Amino acid sequence: MADVEFRKVRKAWGAVVAVDDLDLAIEAGEFVSLLGPSGCGKTTTLRMLAGLDFPSAGEILIGGRRVNDLPPAQRDIAMVFQSYALYPHMTVAENIAYPLKKRGVPRGERGPRVAKVAEMLQLGPLLDRRPRQLSGGQQQRVALGRALVRDPRVFLLDEPLSNLDAKLRGHMRAELVELHRRLGRTMVYVTHDQLEAMTMSDRIAILEGGRLQQFAPPQAVYAAPANRFVAGFIGTPSMNLIDGELAAGPAGPEFRAPGLALAVGPLAAGTQPGPACLGLRPEHLSFGTGPLAGTVQLVEETGHEAIIAVTLGEGGPRLVGRSPAGLALRVGGQVRLALNGPAAHLFAPGPTGRRLNAPSPSGAVAAAAAGDQP
Amino acid sequence: MAAPRQTALERQYSLLGLMLIAPTVLVFCAVIVYPLVSAIYLSLFSVFTPTLQGGWVGLENYRSLLGSGEFWVSLRNNLVWTAGTLALQVLFGVGMALVLHQNLWFRSLARSLILFPYFVSTVVAVLVWKWVFNDLYGILNHVMMAAGIIDWPVDYLGTMPNAMISIILVGAWKYFPFVVIAVLARLQTIPEPLYEAARIDGAGPVARFFDITLPQLREVLVVIVLLRAIWDFKEFDLIYLMTGGGPVIATQTLPLLVYKEAFALNRMGMAAAYAVVMMAIMLVFMVLYIRRTRERRP
Amino acid sequence: MTAIRRVLFNLFAWTVVLAVAFPLFWMIVTSVKPQSELFRRPPTFLPETVTFEHYWTLLTRTGFLDYFRNSVILSVATTLTVVAIATLGAYSLVRFRYRGRESLAFLVLFTYLLPSVVLIIPLYLMLVTLGVSNTIFSLVIAYTTFALPYALWLLRSFMAGIPEDLESAALVDGASRMGAFRDIILPQLLPGIISTALFTFILSWNEYLYALVLVNSDAARPLTTGVMSMLISAFNIEWSLLMAASVMMSVPLIVAFAFLQSYLTSGFGAGGVKG
Repeated sequence: MADVEFRKVRKAWGAVVAVDDLDLAIEAGEFVSLLGPSGCGKTTTLRMLAGLDFPSAGEILIGGRRVNDLPPAQRDIAMVFQSYALYPHMTVAENIAYPLKKRGVPRGERGPRVAKVAEMLQLGPLLDRRPRQLSGGQQQRVALGRALVRDPRVFLLDEPLSNLDAKLRGHMRAELVELHRRLGRTMVYVTHDQLEAMTMSDRIAILEGGRLQQFAPPQAVYAAPANRFVAGFIGTPSMNLIDGELAAGPAGPEFRAPGLALAVGPLAAGTQPGPACLGLRPEHLSFGTGPLAGTVQLVEETGHEAIIAVTLGEGGPRLVGRSPAGLALRVGGQVRLALNGPAAHLFAPGPTGRRLNAPSPSGAVAAAAAGDQP
Repeated sequence: MAAPRQTALERQYSLLGLMLIAPTVLVFCAVIVYPLVSAIYLSLFSVFTPTLQGGWVGLENYRSLLGSGEFWVSLRNNLVWTAGTLALQVLFGVGMALVLHQNLWFRSLARSLILFPYFVSTVVAVLVWKWVFNDLYGILNHVMMAAGIIDWPVDYLGTMPNAMISIILVGAWKYFPFVVIAVLARLQTIPEPLYEAARIDGAGPVARFFDITLPQLREVLVVIVLLRAIWDFKEFDLIYLMTGGGPVIATQTLPLLVYKEAFALNRMGMAAAYAVVMMAIMLVFMVLYIRRTRERRP
Repeated sequence: MTAIRRVLFNLFAWTVVLAVAFPLFWMIVTSVKPQSELFRRPPTFLPETVTFEHYWTLLTRTGFLDYFRNSVILSVATTLTVVAIATLGAYSLVRFRYRGRESLAFLVLFTYLLPSVVLIIPLYLMLVTLGVSNTIFSLVIAYTTFALPYALWLLRSFMAGIPEDLESAALVDGASRMGAFRDIILPQLLPGIISTALFTFILSWNEYLYALVLVNSDAARPLTTGVMSMLISAFNIEWSLLMAASVMMSVPLIVAFAFLQSYLTSGFGAGGVKG
């Protein structure tokens, strides 16, 4: 049974629709990220789950119980806020103990539980300080401690790492994953950072414009994006997206754009010839040899590899590829290149055009493997 | 705006919100909204204050008000007073704020001393100034004569235009600290790099003031001017206590006129009519100010 | 700035500051001068002999102490009533959603700017009809008309400055709305409440017009009208006595100033200019 469930949830502020027709079922013990650009509705979704915002329509269930009308206190959740929201007039110990106090845990019992959490998060020496005397990372731990002190059914995390510097963020990512493994609780994690979502989640829910675009394990999201938005959003450097035409070729369907013709694999049922969009990840370009010729626009050496941008032919599409370091390329020079046709993705036109071809074999395998997991 | 369909929790919160605002609404209705409406209603009657008896006269009060010279004189006085004292408050206030923004010796003491006139009771301010202005023993006349500016003691409050100038000056003295604090608070938020950049571009102190400080202050100055214009326009205590509107009615402003009609001439209905007209005039400033404060909130 | 320019600037600035403060200095000086020295020509800038006889006269032979007591009762009562109502009201206006909330906020701002003379006539009639005129209670009611919109406006601004996340966190941690208000918002709002209370107190302490119209008995008269009546009733004006009264009347303000200046400055910004 799903631990957290959204059924046809909609949230509108006046005429502005923040979340529309959201169906989402999160299994018990799962780590799910809500990922999307700012304004996509991910924070509103989380706040509705917490009981801080109210759905205009639809139902929200936690542990099979409809919670639409329950105040946050009765939903058996804990939340870490982006701003940490530590109570400035309380010490660290009082901050962590507050949820226990509010739930009527006797005073004598609170001390040991606070101490246990403090030990787990290495907050012991800081218990008597006030939040403003702490560094950002320490404040983050206190916020985490306040959520952990009470063993809730669901943890909600709203961009908890976004105010930390890059190094600490990497460290905390690993710690959160470890924490999730140890607690085995359902966690819903809001982020705009795809690296966080990809590395931490069991499944990722990608939102855009208040609508759910795809809900799948990280590998599946990467290998088989459900639509053009997901394809462009996930992956760095992002996927090459080329607008062109789907037509019948001599050996089956073919994608055509200026300077480019590529046979594409089995298509979804009912796909008609016409405008379409080809997606190709940078790693599916290879440089040095191949049937195509391009002009080098840009070479970015990152050390272990190079990111190379080329244009195909005269005024053709611009493609970005990755190549092992050491390839001697000159900006403005010519280079031969090959595209890995079977790995290409095909989407219907429009910013969220749906996927038209079956995922490539390697991607499909990954997706299937990940799909078994939860 | 309430959503068309609310969850039970949302309704419960709304109800709590209404319960919390209820005391405010009750008090507002009892002591502000009801009197305000009855002031407008009252202005259509002729009421004798001591007996509170009277009868319906319709718009007669307004007709005689607009035809009376005293109303127009008071309105003119009101505008002269407001414009004069407001201009001095702003000029002196901005100047003082710039001075206090510098690194001054005992700056916080200086700030307290500057702030004090604003917080002291108008009654105290008036008593002190009346003593300073006293024609026989006042320190001002003594100093002016000693300095050779005047040969003979001046009557500061009993003749015109002295009386108007005096109340304008005292008004400026009493209320300019408001401008000082407001401007000072804004000055402290102007980023220092702006000045450094200007200095690198070769701007002198004067150019820096006009090119950086003044544009940065523009917005807060508009708000200050509107707010102080409203408050100065309705000032009663200071003028009433300083000159009582005299000599004759030379410094009588609309609030004084309302008071005189109601409690000296015992014509309540007429006084209410004056008050309503005065409010209508102020409404212009109020609307400007309210629109200004609303714009700035997202 | 070179040293000389610095000194010149300071001299100039302090001359201006002292000129502004001169009337207050003169008030104190006059209040401790003996009557004989008061009318001396040329006047002495610092008193040759310091006397507190005027203060003694003030306290023993005038109604000053009664007025003072009335003013304290009046201002404290107004402040407590208004701040209590306004704190709840501001919480509701800032953190709740219901129909009419925006119009109410508009009404608050409008009444904040409303001139007293418009309300005073109907209020006078109302209080006479209720039979409570000439009491301190009637003044508390009248003072609410300007103090409540003012306090609401100030507190609304302070309340809006408290991060909403804090309240949300308290709700998730298990508090009810009122629980979060008590545990989290109230402690955070405390500086704002102190500041608002101070301003409300000062406004009430200094109010003159309502006191003039609504009270004409010494039993209920506050300081402002009380001291002015001393000026009017005296056959020849005893300036030293009036200056002593002025100093005494300003004592609460000086105390507030000495200890709570930062609260005063913050309230300043919240009320008027930040909007």
